[in-house]
Amino acid sequence: MSASNARRPYKRPMGGWWRKNPYFVEYMVHEGTALFVAAYALLLLAGVFALGRGEAAWNSWLALLRSPPSLLLHGVLLLGFLYHTWTWFNIMPRTLPPILIGGERVKATTITRAGLAAALVASVLVFALAARLAS
Amino acid sequence: METFKADVAIVGAGGAGLRAAIAVAKKDPKLKIALISKVYPMRSHTVAAEGGAAGVVQAHDSLEHHFHDTVAGGDWLCEQDVVDYFVAHCTEEMVQLEHWGCPWSRKPDGHVNVRAFGGMKIERTWFAADKSGFHMLHTLFQTSLQFPSITRFDEHFCVDLLVEDGRAQGAVAINVASGEFVMIEAKSVVIATGGAGRVFRENTNGGIVTGDGMALAYRHGVPLRDMEFVQYHPTCMPGTGLLFTEACRGEGGFLVNKDGYRYLQDYGLGPAEPTPRNKAMELGPRDRLSQAFWYEQQKGRTIEGIHGSAVHLDLRHLGHKKLRERLPQICELAEEFMGIDPAKAPIPVRPAVHYTMGGILVDGNCASPLPGLYAAGECSSVGIHGANRLGSNSLSEICVFGKVAGDHAADFARSAKSAPSATLQKQADAAQMRALSLVRGNKGTERISVLRREMAETMERGCGIYRLGDEMQKTCNELENLRERYKRVKVDDTSSVFNTEWLLAIELGYQLQVAQAMAVSALNRKESRGAHQRLDDYKLRDDANYLMHTLATSAGDGPPVISYGEVKITHLPPGVRAYGAAGEAADAASKAKSAEGKAP
Amino acid sequence: MKAAPRTIRIEVLRYRPEQDKEPVVQGFDVPFTDDMSVLQGLQYIKDEFDGTLSFRWSCRMAICGSCGMMINGVPKLSCSTFLRDLYPNTVRVEALAHFPIERDLVIVLDDFITKLHKIKPYIIPKEPRALSQGEYLQTPEQMAQYEQFSACINCMLCYAACPQYGLNSSFIGPAAMALVHRYNLDNRDGGRAERDPYVHSEEGVFNCTAVGYCSEVCPKDVDPANAVNINKTESAKDYFLRFLKPKGAQA
Repeated sequence: MSASNARRPYKRPMGGWWRKNPYFVEYMVHEGTALFVAAYALLLLAGVFALGRGEAAWNSWLALLRSPPSLLLHGVLLLGFLYHTWTWFNIMPRTLPPILIGGERVKATTITRAGLAAALVASVLVFALAARLAS
Repeated sequence: METFKADVAIVGAGGAGLRAAIAVAKKDPKLKIALISKVYPMRSHTVAAEGGAAGVVQAHDSLEHHFHDTVAGGDWLCEQDVVDYFVAHCTEEMVQLEHWGCPWSRKPDGHVNVRAFGGMKIERTWFAADKSGFHMLHTLFQTSLQFPSITRFDEHFCVDLLVEDGRAQGAVAINVASGEFVMIEAKSVVIATGGAGRVFRENTNGGIVTGDGMALAYRHGVPLRDMEFVQYHPTCMPGTGLLFTEACRGEGGFLVNKDGYRYLQDYGLGPAEPTPRNKAMELGPRDRLSQAFWYEQQKGRTIEGIHGSAVHLDLRHLGHKKLRERLPQICELAEEFMGIDPAKAPIPVRPAVHYTMGGILVDGNCASPLPGLYAAGECSSVGIHGANRLGSNSLSEICVFGKVAGDHAADFARSAKSAPSATLQKQADAAQMRALSLVRGNKGTERISVLRREMAETMERGCGIYRLGDEMQKTCNELENLRERYKRVKVDDTSSVFNTEWLLAIELGYQLQVAQAMAVSALNRKESRGAHQRLDDYKLRDDANYLMHTLATSAGDGPPVISYGEVKITHLPPGVRAYGAAGEAADAASKAKSAEGKAP
Repeated sequence: MKAAPRTIRIEVLRYRPEQDKEPVVQGFDVPFTDDMSVLQGLQYIKDEFDGTLSFRWSCRMAICGSCGMMINGVPKLSCSTFLRDLYPNTVRVEALAHFPIERDLVIVLDDFITKLHKIKPYIIPKEPRALSQGEYLQTPEQMAQYEQFSACINCMLCYAACPQYGLNSSFIGPAAMALVHRYNLDNRDGGRAERDPYVHSEEGVFNCTAVGYCSEVCPKDVDPANAVNINKTESAKDYFLRFLKPKGAQA
């Protein structure tokens, strides 16, 4: 566009874009829950380091895990995990090629439900395994 | 003023304009094409066509059947040699679109499927669900992107043609975004600007369908032919006029009155059967169906609503699944706009203005009497629709004749020399001054919206489904008066950037001239034929006096001068137009007669 | 028969480059009936109150794609958004987000048009075919592969819904990607290799962070987010395989 004419397109600023729409706020929140996953990974990593430094370090790491603030943190992290899982499976249908069963396309809600069910089954199995190892 | 030197300038980038541009580009990649459109090409009104495009494919169908349906459907006001060419080239064009990617609906074996349409003896309508025009337009637009010889002038509003040495040599346009003028020099010009349905009040057309190209040609002395024939589509949304495709009936939909009675059987279209029969009942031609609505209304058998009378389009028996698959857009329109699920309730519909059968006078090569000027699509009158167009012939027309126009405009450009730029520049400057006078020092008093409304109302009163001599005369007088008032049109917006009010004012000028050509042509046709039906002393078709094309030639500020031209009849002499059982009986009789004739 | 019309407040973000330094809000009280769309509300304003208000529109039936705008902060087609559903609240109308405003409700579309040219949105035949050979065969199942992505009306609502496009307009974006996918999936087409370099480029699919709002606002259920995200897999493969190729080989 030439400078000689009267056009003067106006570019709106993007600052604070994610606050302008509830959908974006939710997006930032669910993306934010990824930090919870990262935090728990660091926690586990600390355990691995403790194990490497000998029995005393390992035991004090275990003791730290059993402390009330740690239990509270775990509770919060679990909630973050659950929300992250929920939103992850909600977006999943948008990332998959169409799945056809008997010539009919599988609905998005079906894919989400199947994913959530698989996550639930896997969690129960891991929990059962952990319970068995602990006993 | 910016200048662009093209070989072929095309005004309008809907289906016909894009097809013409591709034709030129394929014919000779060295020819520079300027494709000018007041909107982005994908916004052109081809996008709104729903039902489909005709092209003979089935073994038991024939070109002769398509020819016969078209000529009889047009009440014999068709150029039969042109119809011959048309029917012979429809299928090839449909296949061409398929090769370019158009997602035509298919049969299970992968071949293209066809559906039934009004006034067509055998199913031959190619369709892409009920978004045929949308898919055709996007296919053509996207295909056009691969040709570097096409330079597009998107959102450039054409204000005049350049005519020098007695031939068309380009166009002048406003760049809408900046308000600057562009002169496009060309050795030939194709007009493909679509119809003019917006001169009426209740219509199926987009806001851009304002007859621009018709008016541009008309102002340069090119006659507008058969402008009195304006098609009312029988099934439209009350109030807005939005279209419910004929394919609703092609798929088996019923039209019923307030008593749930399939009233078309009372108007020579019966017998009423539970499944569609071609050329009968709901699959009769559009003019007859709209006329039947009018009579039902007179008899008080219509349903009254806030937007006037309506009848019901009943699709319930087609079932949810078929409706979603074959008529998804119809479902969407009914649900979103009217809150009606067509699988559960009937849709109220009434006729609305849909299509202008007439247009810029051109021959079978799409050449107008002005050398170097071509026209294709709804803005043109190439002679295939006669007094009433059959559904699905217009989408085929834009392809068949878009190509013809492109090919011939290319040939003309290759043999023509352009005029010296200086003389063209002088014309362009004058055009610019005229257009600018609307926004510079405008002391007008007449609001655009008021003039537009009065024009639309008087057109509806005088040139509706049924017409009366004195009403038409009144409309002619009012249009003359409106044109006078238009000289004092008021434009509040004096800015340069995207000044839509300025464009509306120019469009209104185009519309008033086209409306006047329609009304005066109608007043002078003292018979009833196709979409031109009179209730005064001229209720019948009068082949002795009016088997003629009306030609409206501009006379400046005054009403057009009306003259008449011959209709080309090659091998189907005027006969009785009959549909339903009567039509089949007539067919059988003529077959028997011709068999008799052939017997030794 | 006619019910007395109610009145709704419509606030429009105006921008007239020749007089406004930046956009300003202007309010109008518009009488409306139950079947009136936001577009008809704007037409009423233009016809009765202020002829200078500028907006694009044409078909009125949600197929031409002209009349997209932000309605109460959400990208919508104004022709198929009804005032009755917004009453009694004030309606706030603004040009589509993330695009430069040309004037009032009109956005600058040049960027998308440039992208359209770059994606080669046309059949590049796998096997050329003469017209005399008739149509290519395509079963309903083969058509179902791409049909949804061919339904895009280029209304630009998805770009107005994509914050990544807002932050970086060189991103190919949802609608253009849906069209790429549409042609790649068509059994008549063999042009994928010609389209891939752009899809896999810096401007390509990996600018998408799966916000998913583009698909939410799409008026034609095209699901452009799906087109973008499916292609991420292909793009990732392309990226990593690049390192396995000997130097100097064609990507």
